[in-house]
Amino acid sequence: MKTRLAKFPFWHEAVLALLLVALLITANTMEPRFMRLGTQIELSRHLWEIALLALPMMLIIITAGIDLSVGSNMAMCAVTLGLLYEAHVPMPLAIGAALLVGIIGGAINGAFIAFLRVHPLIVTLATLSAFRGVAEGVSLARPISGFPASFGLLAQGTFACLPIPAWMFIAAAIVCSVILAKTPFGRFLYAIGYNENACRFTGINVPRIKLLLYTLAGFMSALSAIIFVARRNTAKADVGTGIELDVIAAVVLGGVSIFGGRGNIVGMLLGVVLIHETREFVSWHWNNDELILVVLGVLLIASVLLNSLFSRRSRSD
Amino acid sequence: MPDGPLVALRNITKTFGGVHALSGVTLEIAAGEIHALCGENGAGKSTLIKILSGSVQPDSGEVLVDGSPLATGSVAVSEAAGIAVIHQEIVAFPHLSAQDNIFIGREPRRGILLDRAKMRSEAQRLLNQLGEDIDLSQPVGDLPVAQQQMVGMARALSHRCRLLIMDEPTASLSARETTVLFRIIRQLQSEGVSILYVSHRLEEIFALSNHITVLRDGRWVATEPTREINQDRLIQLMVGRELAQAEAETKPATSAERVLLEVRGLKREGVFDEISLQVRAGEIVGMAGLVGAGRSEVAQSVFNLDPRDAGEVLLDGEPLPAGSVRRAMQRGLALVPEDRQHAGLVLPMSVGANLSMASLPSLTCCGLTSARREDELIQKLMRELVVKAASPKLAASSLSGGNQQKLVLGKWLARRPKVLILDEPTRGVDVGAKAEIYRLIRGLAAEGMGVLLISSDLPEVLSLSDRILIMREGRISGELSRTEATQEKILALAIPAATAQAA
Amino acid sequence: MNPLTLLARRREYAVALALALTIAVAGIVNPAFLAAGNLRDILVQVVPAAIVGCGLTFVIVTGEIDISVGSSMGLLAAVLGQLCSPLHAGLPVWVAVVLTLLAGTLIGLVNGLLVTVARVPSIIVTLGMLTALRGATEMLMAGKWITDLPSALRFLGTGSVLGMRVSLWMAALVIVTSILFARNTALGRRVYAVGSNPHAAHLAGLSVGRIKIFVFTLTGFLVGVATLVSVPQLSVIESGIGIGLELLVVTCVVVGGTSISGGKGTIIGTILGVGLLGIVRTVLIFLNLGERSVYWERAIQGGFILAAVLADNFAQKNKRGEAHA
Repeated sequence: MKTRLAKFPFWHEAVLALLLVALLITANTMEPRFMRLGTQIELSRHLWEIALLALPMMLIIITAGIDLSVGSNMAMCAVTLGLLYEAHVPMPLAIGAALLVGIIGGAINGAFIAFLRVHPLIVTLATLSAFRGVAEGVSLARPISGFPASFGLLAQGTFACLPIPAWMFIAAAIVCSVILAKTPFGRFLYAIGYNENACRFTGINVPRIKLLLYTLAGFMSALSAIIFVARRNTAKADVGTGIELDVIAAVVLGGVSIFGGRGNIVGMLLGVVLIHETREFVSWHWNNDELILVVLGVLLIASVLLNSLFSRRSRSD
Repeated sequence: MPDGPLVALRNITKTFGGVHALSGVTLEIAAGEIHALCGENGAGKSTLIKILSGSVQPDSGEVLVDGSPLATGSVAVSEAAGIAVIHQEIVAFPHLSAQDNIFIGREPRRGILLDRAKMRSEAQRLLNQLGEDIDLSQPVGDLPVAQQQMVGMARALSHRCRLLIMDEPTASLSARETTVLFRIIRQLQSEGVSILYVSHRLEEIFALSNHITVLRDGRWVATEPTREINQDRLIQLMVGRELAQAEAETKPATSAERVLLEVRGLKREGVFDEISLQVRAGEIVGMAGLVGAGRSEVAQSVFNLDPRDAGEVLLDGEPLPAGSVRRAMQRGLALVPEDRQHAGLVLPMSVGANLSMASLPSLTCCGLTSARREDELIQKLMRELVVKAASPKLAASSLSGGNQQKLVLGKWLARRPKVLILDEPTRGVDVGAKAEIYRLIRGLAAEGMGVLLISSDLPEVLSLSDRILIMREGRISGELSRTEATQEKILALAIPAATAQAA
Repeated sequence: MNPLTLLARRREYAVALALALTIAVAGIVNPAFLAAGNLRDILVQVVPAAIVGCGLTFVIVTGEIDISVGSSMGLLAAVLGQLCSPLHAGLPVWVAVVLTLLAGTLIGLVNGLLVTVARVPSIIVTLGMLTALRGATEMLMAGKWITDLPSALRFLGTGSVLGMRVSLWMAALVIVTSILFARNTALGRRVYAVGSNPHAAHLAGLSVGRIKIFVFTLTGFLVGVATLVSVPQLSVIESGIGIGLELLVVTCVVVGGTSISGGKGTIIGTILGVGLLGIVRTVLIFLNLGERSVYWERAIQGGFILAAVLADNFAQKNKRGEAHA
């Protein structure tokens, strides 16, 4: 029995789900108002940027890579959007330009990682500084606001009860899970994470896949930046500061191995939701943002610790 | 203690996760003898070495040195008792200098600081003894492979050891370096050092050892004086049954067949040059040569893994443009690489995923892979290749070396290639699986596939090939037909001229 | 070997050259840049990064990483302030100093234990710590500032001994000791061995785990030292101290030539990296490019890493070419 328990492949997801259920039950008894659907939808507005970025981050971490620059890339895109709007460029065009900037930023990461074969941690650490620096330099770090109300709808509007960003996320998540489970591309991501050299010997075009992944992360950064600006009605060079850590924490909490090769979308989603609900509940009930940080930090370490304990036991069985 | 053995293992048992790696093994090594340890992969040799060297603790049994028990499970204690190991892989610290490599873990000190002067002179002395002139301050990773091996050897010698364990020491050495190694081994023996010699290469064992101990499935099978045993008997002890000798069947001449693979004047700056060869349908072309002669590099260049500086590759008469492995695969080429674990397989992934890895595009429709068709392919391959795995869902890493090699073969055979390049297909594969792989290769050729077989195992090349090409220092130095080829002729063509004269 | 190749291959030379050129240009454009007072200010500014950089170099050489140093400094500053501020614990300064160093060491030890004994990847452990310690700092400070630091503590930050700031003496001591440790002690060489090939290190009888615990603990201790000499310079202690320090220091270490995959890296390289990245802001001000130029500081710092990466790539290609010839 014990053996079978340890060999159960989805225990990580199960533990996350249990934690989430426990949290929600506690929340429901302590703060019934917190658990109302309307409240939850309202609170979810803080979630979508992180959730959208978690998708490409998961794919990247599965290939044993990492992208620290997503937050800074967001800042570049937000500043592009703001400055172009200020210069009276029509909004759709400004949005297109922001998306383009995000894609270019991601492609720069991808090119260094794929073709120069530099460690992603180094490349994206560099662009974490560089992109933020460009955003600060170009905008002189001043806020730009006063976007048209129609633009704000992009984040605040709803469609069939759900906020528009939620629909974007749902679509992206479905595409992502199909790619991972059903396509050669998805299979290759796991293979690259485990053994890149063997992939080369099997004729898999590893550089192209990597370039694609980091470019995708750039695109999602741009999308998140647009939603962020629409939600806050402000574009500033500090948009997305530190969001990369939140995103990585959510993905890793969701059971995606930082060493590559392991992870799935269900776990990742649970990780994202668990972090979100914990944050919102602690903030709602104790009104204490400091405590959230401590809880999240400990949660992250503890979940990976449990993971390594469990996998060690199942290996020795 | 002149009479008793230097080192004795008594009733050693060790299990890993319920599997007996060793059960009740007893072994005695006399002072000043060379003791060979034989057995197929998984027989328990490496576990036994790890117990002696202190990196693994046995479950029961004891290790005696000079008749007194040794506290097992500590590298430091084993080293202090005079037991040193030269490991199969080149164990070095590539970023550290030769002298740091030699002394790491046992650094001579003056106060709290290192005694650099002593390290330098000692290192120099040890390397002189090995007849090597190595830059002591350069990072070892920048040295040629053979010199790295010598640094490892110097490290083992610096222990003033009494028992030196050598685990496949010649695996990455050329013939010349092997000669140097044998000289050193004999010199050590004459100084009274005992040597436990582990190797798959039976010729080496017969050339060097005084006694041979055979392990099978974690059990002791026999210990015999070397001169009272012959090769057939040894193989029989290792395998536990008589193996049919690699049959030298005669095959029809294949010169009339179509040329499937043709390489013309292939060149890679500083690696190889003027490589021209042909592989016809149904033909097995052997490629012999010393390690470092450039054979694997030619194969990887033909397969478009590495760039080429000049020359062309033709498949079925049509030129293959350089640059894309994918293109080479689509045109019917397959390469089974030398390094199974790092290039051939994705070990943590399942047996099935590894088998289908190279054929996924053909199982995919509108971007989605059909799970049913993938399963069918996997089942078929596992049946055809007799892969011994309980389920295709198991991780490839859980399989034995021979079965892993079958996975690599299966992965490529799934694509039905026209030409198969095999790079050391039986390295690290035990005797039983070897025979099955030979049968498979012959069968493929009989069905009309062209095979280019790169191997350092001369009996293997001789018994399988229709023609043999020999490479020396990046060039093809000769070609021998099946009838005229002998081990001596191949070696004469493979050994560089300068050293051949010196030897 | 042509000079360009040498520069590409020995990162220390390249960074030293870049540093010298930057200083020369700044000095020519605006001689005030070279005034003793200005140079001292720059040095004092980079002291924390230099001290922490020594520890982090060793951590990265073992193939691990520590991104908790910034949050850790924030917490230690809060602890130090609360311990010796008369409005809080009001302990004697030396007690507060010792306790702060102990707290830093303890944080490092916990990091090390989680990485080795609990086998959680260091990027996760220190990412968790980065978040948790920052939260703990904010809870401890509860949004308030501490301004009444005793003058004995101020001496550590602003006092001088033999005409040089205490903090500079301390940095010099840490740097010299680290260089000696790396080159000339057995443990120092073992740190490199562990990063170069952990498997071989294990076979050579080295305790990989203990060596890693040591480098994390050392880094924690050095964060404590950096806190002691830098925080008293400030007029107030608030919860934001040390934010972003981890990124700056990791950047300096990497620009200084330490390999993120372990085994390779020197203290001198790191210190030169600290110098190069530390002067960017001041140089931008002194180049008279206008107030706005300062906003480009981070872009330039990021650019330095990319330049270093390109240099590495060039060096490797060159090496390969040479081997073929």
